Amino acid sequence: MKTKLYIFLFLNIFSISIFAQEQKMTDAEIATFKQDVNVVSKKIKTLSTDFVQYKHLDFLSKDIETSGKMVFKEPALLSWQYKKPYNYSIVFKNGKILINDEGKKSAVDIGNSKIFARINKLIIGSVSGNMFDDKEFTISYFKLKGQNLAKFIPKDATLKKYIKQIELTFDKEEATVVQVKLLESSEDYTRIVLKNKVINAKIDDSVFTN
Amino acid sequence: MQKSTIQFLLINCFLAIVLVSCGSVTKNYTPKKLDKTAVEVPYFADSKTDYVYKTNITVYGHELSGIFIAKKVNDTTHRVVFTTEFGNKLLDFEISEKTFKVNSIVSELDRKILINTLEEDFRLLLKNKYLIQEQFENGESVIYKSEDGKRDNYLFFSKKDQKLEKVVRSSKTKEKITITFTLENDKFAEKVVILHQNIKLKIALNYFKSE
Repeated sequence: MKTKLYIFLFLNIFSISIFAQEQKMTDAEIATFKQDVNVVSKKIKTLSTDFVQYKHLDFLSKDIETSGKMVFKEPALLSWQYKKPYNYSIVFKNGKILINDEGKKSAVDIGNSKIFARINKLIIGSVSGNMFDDKEFTISYFKLKGQNLAKFIPKDATLKKYIKQIELTFDKEEATVVQVKLLESSEDYTRIVLKNKVINAKIDDSVFTN
Repeated sequence: MQKSTIQFLLINCFLAIVLVSCGSVTKNYTPKKLDKTAVEVPYFADSKTDYVYKTNITVYGHELSGIFIAKKVNDTTHRVVFTTEFGNKLLDFEISEKTFKVNSIVSELDRKILINTLEEDFRLLLKNKYLIQEQFENGESVIYKSEDGKRDNYLFFSKKDQKLEKVVRSSKTKEKITITFTLENDKFAEKVVILHQNIKLKIALNYFKSE
């Protein structure tokens, strides 16, 4: 009986602390936060970062972990490269998607495909942080310990079918993205942790060939 | 008289054709006495294991890749999910010997013929118990025949190490689907290839260890 009570109390404290961690921002805080992020993301000409991707499916006992390197160069060159546990890279470049799957190469011409243009913008926006577009998303803002959190709910019905919500976690000091979480449903999501970020190093265009 | 002779010949021809076609799947195998009545396949049967495979699908010359995930969620049912490398879910099924439920599928893949094909493939892949009616052998393998409605499944065990290396699903006359397993150990398939004989579809699964 006593143990049960302790467990109950512990769970309660635990859940309170979770809620306490995520606190809504005030309007003034939102304005400051957005401005900080915009100032930083405007300065980004190139960006490279290591990432670890955790695919969470509710019925699995463990998240599926893959990792690699992401490189971005203005205005719209993007390379997303998985190195572990397999080699797979995808490059967005001049309206084309170039894929290299363990040495097997292919290209998809996306031309004017709106959905791909949007995905491209979304990935770049997620990593650079500049995604505060009220026309595209319903956005809410939260404070965490040493971090800020923005939650984006797509307004577009097509996009909403694939992504229920995007959550970007920012380092408070640097105003850059440290984690991207893409929620497909309440149980299933993809969480991408960014680390070893380098901003505005010289990046050769040859990085974006496959 | 003449009429009946023709009839007789026709029937004989017909019988001959039927017999030849009937025999075509097993014609190169030698029948053997049955040494067991049931076979269990352990490759996707452990409910504690997340079966995660990098997948390449070739369909009529088009290539598709992603991640195949299967897990035994209860005694009879597997959950099967296929995602892109980025993690977006493309399809999500629950499948058992008798039941099949689509939890979600992206609209691009939402075609009856595709879903039916995948249902048959995954059911065969994940099936872990076969009742055996006949037994054969050839140079390398001991072959068990398991009837399954209009189809027959043939299970090929290597004579060398008694491991299940291949499952062939066929009609009475023709092979339809072949699944080959490359094994890491007794209970686990490192590589799986599902090959269709009547349509141009190949699904290759390569296990990857998440780190």
